[in-house]
Order: sequence, then C-alpha cells, then structure tokens
Amino acid sequence: MSSLKKSISMLLLLVLSLGTILAGCGGGDEAGSEGKTDTASGSDGEVVEIDFWTFWGSETRRPIIEKIIEDFNSSQDRIKVKHTYLPWGDIWTKNLASIAAGNPADLIINDINAVAHRAQNNQNTNLSKYLEQEPEIKDRFFPELYNATLYEGDPYALPFNTDTRFLFWNKDMFEKAGLDPETPPTTWAELEEMGKKLDVKNGDKYERIGYLPNYGISSDVWMINADGKGYWDFEANKPVINDEKNVEALTWFKNYYDYYGDKVINSFKAEFGEQTADPFVAEKLAITTDNANFYTKLRDYGEDINFGVAPLPAMEEGSGNASWGGGFVAEIPKGAKHPDEAWEFLKYLTDVQAQEYWAVQGFDIVANIEAGEKASQSSELSEDGQKVFAQAVENMNQTLITPTPLEAPDYINIINPELEAVLLGDKTPQEALDAAQKAVEDLVESNK
Amino acid sequence: MQLNTDASSSLEKSKKTKRVMSLEKKESLQGYLFIAPWIIGFLVFMAGPLLFSLYGSFTNYNITSKMDFIGIENYIKMFTNDPLIWISLKNTLYYVALSVPLTTAGAVLLSVLLNQGVRGTRIFRTIYYLPAVLSGVGVYLLWMQLLSPSSGLVNTLLGWVGIEGPAWLSDPAWTKPALIFMKLWSLGGGMLLYLASLQGVSQSLYEAAEIDGANSFRKFWHITVPMITPVIFFDLVTSFIGAFQIFQEAYVMSDSGDGGPANSLVFFNLHMWNKAFEVFDMGYAMAMSWFLFIIILVLTVFNLVLAPRWVHYEGEDKK
Repeated sequence: MSSLKKSISMLLLLVLSLGTILAGCGGGDEAGSEGKTDTASGSDGEVVEIDFWTFWGSETRRPIIEKIIEDFNSSQDRIKVKHTYLPWGDIWTKNLASIAAGNPADLIINDINAVAHRAQNNQNTNLSKYLEQEPEIKDRFFPELYNATLYEGDPYALPFNTDTRFLFWNKDMFEKAGLDPETPPTTWAELEEMGKKLDVKNGDKYERIGYLPNYGISSDVWMINADGKGYWDFEANKPVINDEKNVEALTWFKNYYDYYGDKVINSFKAEFGEQTADPFVAEKLAITTDNANFYTKLRDYGEDINFGVAPLPAMEEGSGNASWGGGFVAEIPKGAKHPDEAWEFLKYLTDVQAQEYWAVQGFDIVANIEAGEKASQSSELSEDGQKVFAQAVENMNQTLITPTPLEAPDYINIINPELEAVLLGDKTPQEALDAAQKAVEDLVESNK
Repeated sequence: MQLNTDASSSLEKSKKTKRVMSLEKKESLQGYLFIAPWIIGFLVFMAGPLLFSLYGSFTNYNITSKMDFIGIENYIKMFTNDPLIWISLKNTLYYVALSVPLTTAGAVLLSVLLNQGVRGTRIFRTIYYLPAVLSGVGVYLLWMQLLSPSSGLVNTLLGWVGIEGPAWLSDPAWTKPALIFMKLWSLGGGMLLYLASLQGVSQSLYEAAEIDGANSFRKFWHITVPMITPVIFFDLVTSFIGAFQIFQEAYVMSDSGDGGPANSLVFFNLHMWNKAFEVFDMGYAMAMSWFLFIIILVLTVFNLVLAPRWVHYEGEDKK
C-alpha cells in the first residue's frame, strides 16, 4: 500500500514539475503575444522593428546588404529593419519551423523556383493587396522573373536577383589556334568544331581543352537552348521531357561528351571542382559557359585573360539562343507580425537604387530592369565588367526560369539520374528521356 | 504509516508528513529528482516527437498547411510508387554490409597490434585515435580532395605503385567504396574500446596456453577473441545501427546533396531528408523513418538472438 502511494506521489511530483515547465513555456507565449499587440500599435509614431533573414554572410555580400538596410533605416523613422544572417544550409528549414511555430521573420530571401509551392503550402503571404494599390511595381522586373512568383495568378514574392548562362571565350587562344579572335561560335556545330581545334594534347593527356561539355552547364541547359522550353509545359500542365528536340540535344551532348570520354572529363572536373580554381581562369579551357557572376573570378584571378562574351550558341542557325537562370526572391513568411512594414522595405529592396547598388557591388544580375541597365554603365565597373553585365542584361530576354511544378516538386531528382545514365552509357538518350517522362508522369499521378 | 490514515491528504497534512518523511522515502524522492532531468528530457524531446511522428506517418502532414489523416496511404506509396526508396535501401544495405564488418575487423586488428607492448604504443594510440575526434563536414571536404581522381593524394600514392586509381566520387561504381574507405580512417573509436578490453584479458590464460604449447595464432583465436566478444558484440550492434543511419557523408560529398552520380549515394536517410525538407512531404518522410526503424529493430533483435551462440561472457555458465 505504502509503496503504491509512494509511486503515485512521485508521479504527481513528476507531472507537477512538467506542469511548471509547460506553464513556463505558456507564460513565454503570452508575453510574446503581448509584445505583439504593443508593437502592432506602432503605426502611430512608434518605430516598428522588422526582422529580415538572408543567407548573405560572406565578406563580399554581407556589407552590401547591410548598407542597403542602413540606407533604408535612415531614409525614414517609422520602420527599423534588423538583418538576421542564417547560413545557407539552415535558413529555409529554420524558416519552415518558425512558420509552423507562428513566429517567423518579417521578410526572407528565398528560392525563386518554389514560390508557388510555398504559396500552396501556406508558407508565404499573398502580395496582391499591395500590388493592386501600386500596380506599376510589377513592371520593374524582368517578366520571366515576376511570373515565377505567381501562384493561381497572385504574386507571393518579389524577385530580387537572378543569373543567366552565356559563353566566355579566350581571344588569345583563338588567335593562336588560327581562329578569328573576335568571332565566337554561334551554333552547336561551330562550338564543337572550334572547341576541337582549340584542344592541346601532350601524348594521351589533354593539356588544354577547347570546350568541355558537362562543365559549368550540363545537358539540361542545352535541352532548354534547343527549343526554349524546359521539362514542363506550364500551359498544358504536363511534363514534356522526351520531346523530339530534347532527344536531339541530349544525343548531340552525349556524342560530344564521348569525344573526350568519362575519364578525361571526370578528372578534369574533379581537379577544378573547387570554387577558387577554374579551368578557364587557369587557362586550361578556351571556351566556357557560365554564369554572369563568373566574371568576378576572371577579375580577381585572371587579370591577363583577354576574353569575350556572347550568348549561348544556337542549335542551328536561327533556332534561338535560349539560356537558363534561377535566382532569389524576397517574400513575407505566412504569419509575419508586420507584413505592412515588411512590404515597405520589400519595395525599397527591389527599387532601382538598392538594386543598382547590389548589382554593382556584388556583380550580381538583379531583377529590376532599370537597375540592371544602369549597373551595366556604372563607372564603378571596369570596361570588362560593363561588357559582361550588359551581355547578362541582354541575355535575360532569352533566359528561361524553370519554376518547380506543383504537381511534381521533386521531378529533378528523378530526371537527373536518367541523364547521368546516358553519360555513363547505360541508356540511350531516347530510352532515358522516355523513362524520365514516365517516372515524372507517375509522380504527378501519385501526388494527385 | 501516517500517510495511510488519510488518502486525500490535505495541504496541512502533507506538510506534516513531509517533516516525518521516512529515510526510504527521502531517498527515493532524491532518486527521482536526480533522474528527473533525463525523464523530462526524454518525454519532451524524445517520446513526444516519436509519438508525433508515428501519428504523422498516417497523415499528409507538410509542416505548414495540412495534416489530414490518410490511413496507411504513405506506407502503400512507399511500396508501390517510389522507385527511389528501393535504390536508397539497396545503397544503404551495401554500405552496412561492407562497412560494419570492415571497420570492426580493422579496429580489432589495430588494437591487437597496439597491444603488443612495443615502444611508442602511446603515440600510435593517439595518432590512430585522432581521426575519431575530428568530425563531420571538415573531414569530408578534406577527403573529397584526397579522393580527387587525378590530383588527389590517394590516387597519387596508388600511381607510385603502378595502380591507376578510379575516379572515386565521380564514378557511380566507386562512390560507395570511397565512402567506406573513408570511414575506415576513423576506426580509432572502436579501437580504443578493444584496447581497453584486451588489457582486461587475464595473463594467466595466455600463460596456461603457452604451457600447453599454443602458438600465437591459436592464442589469439582461442583466448583473445572469445574474451573480447562482448565488446565486439556491442561495437557490432551500435555500428550496425549507426551505419543504417548514414546521411551526412552523402549529403556533403555529392553534388548539391542530391546523392549523385546516378543515384549511387542516395541512402535511405538522404532520400527521407529530401522528401521532408525539399518537397515538404513530411508525412511520407515520417512513414519512411518508421519503416527504417522497423528494419533496424528486426535486424537488432536478430543480432541479439544470435549473440548467445558466439558471445562469451567470462564466468558465464554455458549449458
């Protein structure tokens, strides 16, 4: 009897102590919501502090974004933006957890490709009520970027920065190989022909390669380049992975890849896998296809390289020079405490002044068209810098953004292994793309 | 006892009883108090989430917008409509089947060598243990450089002895062996355990065997190994469980964490992570985690059942 009582009283003790802890938590919550009402009334005179999450903590990026914030804070006295840096690996899982807990940031930088996906899952805030009041804001952006922020016709974010791939070629190497240094390849056939001419071999070993397929960009970009379409037809809402042009593009890519073979390419890639070492900068590669931001490596480590920039070559003459890009948006997480103030800052962040500053200082392509054009003429950039930036801005008109389809959020994970199987020689391009098409169709079916 | 007189003890009474609390009670109260942090921690941070994920596995939970009960749909999907899960399971089993025996055998061998009492044992012990202290991502990045096909140290060394090394992390056939090879580097933790248990083996056993004319291999096989089987067993079970949960290595060492090339590094937990945090299919990911739990549970029980056949406890009365 006494031992039973004892254990009951012990249990009680445990429950009580647990209760205290829970009460403690509850108390915290109450305090939190009180705080909320306090600041919510801040519209009349009081300063509202908003929390802005980014993953820009590097030596180069951090000072730029903090300067933009500082400029905003001193431009008015109603809203104070606080910058919270979270590492790349953490920021979006933390965002998710904080939204679920009802205590998210007021504004966050997030991936452009999954805006609609997050909207569908109640993770960000519909901005249409703000944009209805100021409809001209949407004209700031490259249409392709703005369209990527729509879910069921409503915007859920504003685009911030972007990127686009194009061609860099080494003029001196062209000249030495007997090619016209001012004429870059404009078609795939020319790229291959010139590339092979630029190879330098020492016995069996390549000392230099003209153009390396699967370095910088892979077959997916070439498939976009072929017909200006991605894997997904957004109008018909279905995957179009195995269409004719894609098969053709992948076949070309595979043949070109096999010209060098796995071994050469893998060891070449692995050797230059690290961020600081790039074969084009190290003058082991005569032509490369990369992001606009690649210029910063040339600027910092390849001063003597005499290079030119051009759009990606077209599949055939006149088939278009489509390229591929991604980027980031700024959005208000669902449940943010100060959406109105966050919107004010969001407007500032995507306006010409802030965007131009970001573009020039970070050498990054921005979503704001006017800011991009201004940046490409900025006196703070060198002649080369202006040249690359202008090419990037121009390239944006033919750059495709590939938002993740709602019906198949992880379709890339299904397609990529099939593309790898092609390069390994396990499957023909037709087989692999058919398999990918079917697997994605199945995925869509299972997510219905 | 005073407490027995009134079950619904009023506040006054309980104050009184407190004063005359028996020694036994005091002790048990203290006992509970001492384990309270663990119990609270367990309930709040382990049992709670555990039960939540069990429930979640029967829902379409996606963290932010929905959590509807959908029965065993997630489990059905796992078996019928997710080809990647079988690839991931195959990869994981491959890794477990090779890495666990190799690291265990390696650790035993190393500790036996270090137990020979040669000069400098302490230094070697420290050197071999060092990698076990270094952890995580930094080490993986280092290994990515070591395993670089043409300029990496591993292939350079192989080149000196006339072997042309594989492309390791870029060749799907070599990615898992590369990872296992890397894991062998840090078997110092297990080694230390074995070293401790080796030093506990009574010298008298060896002396008796020597009198009987046993050579050193027979001494190792018939005395050393049986005497350390409890530790081998412990090491085997824990590294078995650990190996099934491999995640970080693949996440860090494959391009953008997707488990490439050609899905060769998609382990079960990596696939689960992708489902949970890339596409927010948290309910499905929870179901996957319970599936893995059951696999590990079954295999561990199997291990425990097999144990009496080969694990030898000193002083144990074998029937």
